[in-house]
Amino acid sequence: MTTSVISAAASTRTTASAQGSIELRQVRKTYGDVVAVDELDLVVEPGEFVTLLGPSGSGKTTTMMMVAGFEEHTSGSVLIDGKPVDSLPPRDRNLGVVFQNYALFPHMSARENVEFALRMRKVPKAERRQRADSALERVGLGTMGDRKPRQLSGGQQQRVALARALVFNPAALLLDEPMAALDKRLREHMQEEIKTLQKSLGISVLFVTHDQDEAMAMSDRIVVMKDGRIVQSGPPEEVYNHPLTDWVASFLGDTNLIPCTVLERKDGEALVDLGGLGLGRVRDRGVAGENYAVSIRPEHLKFSSEASADNCGKAALVSSTNLGATVRHRLTAGGHELQVRELSSDATNRPAPGAELFVTWEPDKAQLLVLEQ
Amino acid sequence: MSNATLQRARPEGRAPAPEQEKPRRRRTTWWLLLAPILAFDVVLFLSPLGKLVGSSFTGNAYQRVLEDPLVVRSLINTLSISLASTVVTVVLGYVIALVLWRSGTVTRVILFAVVLLPFWTGILVKNFAWAVLLQDNGIVNSFLQTVGLTDAPIELLHNRLAVIIGMVHCLLPYAVFPIFSSLTSIDDRLALAARSLGAKEASIFRRIILPLSTPGISAAGLLVFIISTGFFITPVVMGGPGDMMIANQIDYYARQLTDFSGAAALAVILTVLVSILVAIYQRVLKAGGQHADN
Repeated sequence: MTTSVISAAASTRTTASAQGSIELRQVRKTYGDVVAVDELDLVVEPGEFVTLLGPSGSGKTTTMMMVAGFEEHTSGSVLIDGKPVDSLPPRDRNLGVVFQNYALFPHMSARENVEFALRMRKVPKAERRQRADSALERVGLGTMGDRKPRQLSGGQQQRVALARALVFNPAALLLDEPMAALDKRLREHMQEEIKTLQKSLGISVLFVTHDQDEAMAMSDRIVVMKDGRIVQSGPPEEVYNHPLTDWVASFLGDTNLIPCTVLERKDGEALVDLGGLGLGRVRDRGVAGENYAVSIRPEHLKFSSEASADNCGKAALVSSTNLGATVRHRLTAGGHELQVRELSSDATNRPAPGAELFVTWEPDKAQLLVLEQ
Repeated sequence: MSNATLQRARPEGRAPAPEQEKPRRRRTTWWLLLAPILAFDVVLFLSPLGKLVGSSFTGNAYQRVLEDPLVVRSLINTLSISLASTVVTVVLGYVIALVLWRSGTVTRVILFAVVLLPFWTGILVKNFAWAVLLQDNGIVNSFLQTVGLTDAPIELLHNRLAVIIGMVHCLLPYAVFPIFSSLTSIDDRLALAARSLGAKEASIFRRIILPLSTPGISAAGLLVFIISTGFFITPVVMGGPGDMMIANQIDYYARQLTDFSGAAALAVILTVLVSILVAIYQRVLKAGGQHADN
């Protein structure tokens, strides 16, 4: 199954892609005294792939369930294609949903599963079968129509679930941790396939996951959620490279957080006092708050043989661990523990643990953050 | 899915480890663990059963009982009453199981108690309670008269309907639990998925819930039918002379006629007959299942 098969088959789809927006306005969901989702504003533009990323209990699944109509929101409004759907039951919202365990009907063949939505829409038998078969072909399962879900592998089951969610040309696709049950290699493969399928169909996707790699790999925009609220929203690179808070920085990958005080701000940079690490220049986002920290990703810290005026700290190497593609170095510097990650191919002639060396970074790669935790 | 994983895993060289030392030890343990129940079964079940089957072949017992028109009548009664009770019990049981499945915790506990109470009550108590309710000056008849539906009491007791009512009451728990457990094993998300695909509640029931609970229905049907063929007290307490079942004949042969080989022959006939019916039932179910597959 190659991705090119998908895109070739998908291009035959006739529906226009200029529809399928999802909008949440001030949506709030409470269970008794517990606030699951709080005053959420979110827009998925037509054709956009938006990921709700957050730890469990952050309200991301609840949010998706409210869009699907399985959960009723306490207040606020949900709009699909600009029309409020608050009073519409799930069956009238015209959304394709793929569940975490796929929720395929075990007593029906793959084809019958895909046909289900068409049967519910009273599509004549011949057309139903033809559309179901072409949807199965689209996901590369053209010959598997007669198999029962239990006779299919996890990846194939997921494709059936995708075909079933797409066959009735829904306004948008909702995916609830659809890759959680797959092993790592298959998961990466399916990420690419789903992304390709989504692009070629031009369909809007609201994707829910707690896996930051998955969010990075697939999204046009990542919406980071915590405690029922959106903490940050933006393109993957922006959220990763320029997190707004220390929590976002550490939730999306590893980072070095160094407490600091701001001395001066000018020309988009800030001069900060990093305590034991000396003075440093970092990217200034103009954040307001009392407690600041500087976040530098481990891969943005570089070793240097000689000292420079600023953006440079003296450090002692504690340990080096080869992780295959990369090497992780642990260091102590001015009372802080630091992590440096570099490509294995670059990590030649590194000193033994205990050696003293310098670390340095580019101002743009260091982010000034408000301390949230 | 697990099959596929297994098949994929095997070529990578993880053949099942050759077992050498373990099985011998395991076999000894196996026998030791089985010994008490085997001894119990041989002494208290198999040997009396053998004796019973043996005595049924003495003195032309089969010919004697099968020439008795009352026996033939009772056999037909047994099958028709059991069949009717089974159908009514499974239908009612399904409704109760559905309500149990759909209800919240508190309602569920109360309903469970209501279903289990007759289960823990003696069959005599239940049948006499029904007799009290259904008798000429019982609650049901006085209600009908007060409302004005009838002038005189209706004959509600000592007929076939009464037998079936009494039996269904005793049999209900045996239908409710298998069906309930097959309902609870249905993934809640299937209904959500169906809903998102455009299904209304009626279609969800007909196309998802009902087909997926058929294992419970067939198990309940089998269990209830087998139990109902052995009913003995209910036909006596609630039935008329024409509603006697095979168990009543066995009692008659053993105690009134003291014809033990005749009673044994009747027991064997009932067992064989029910076994044949069960075999047919399972064959039909299997064929139905295969048909649904295609």
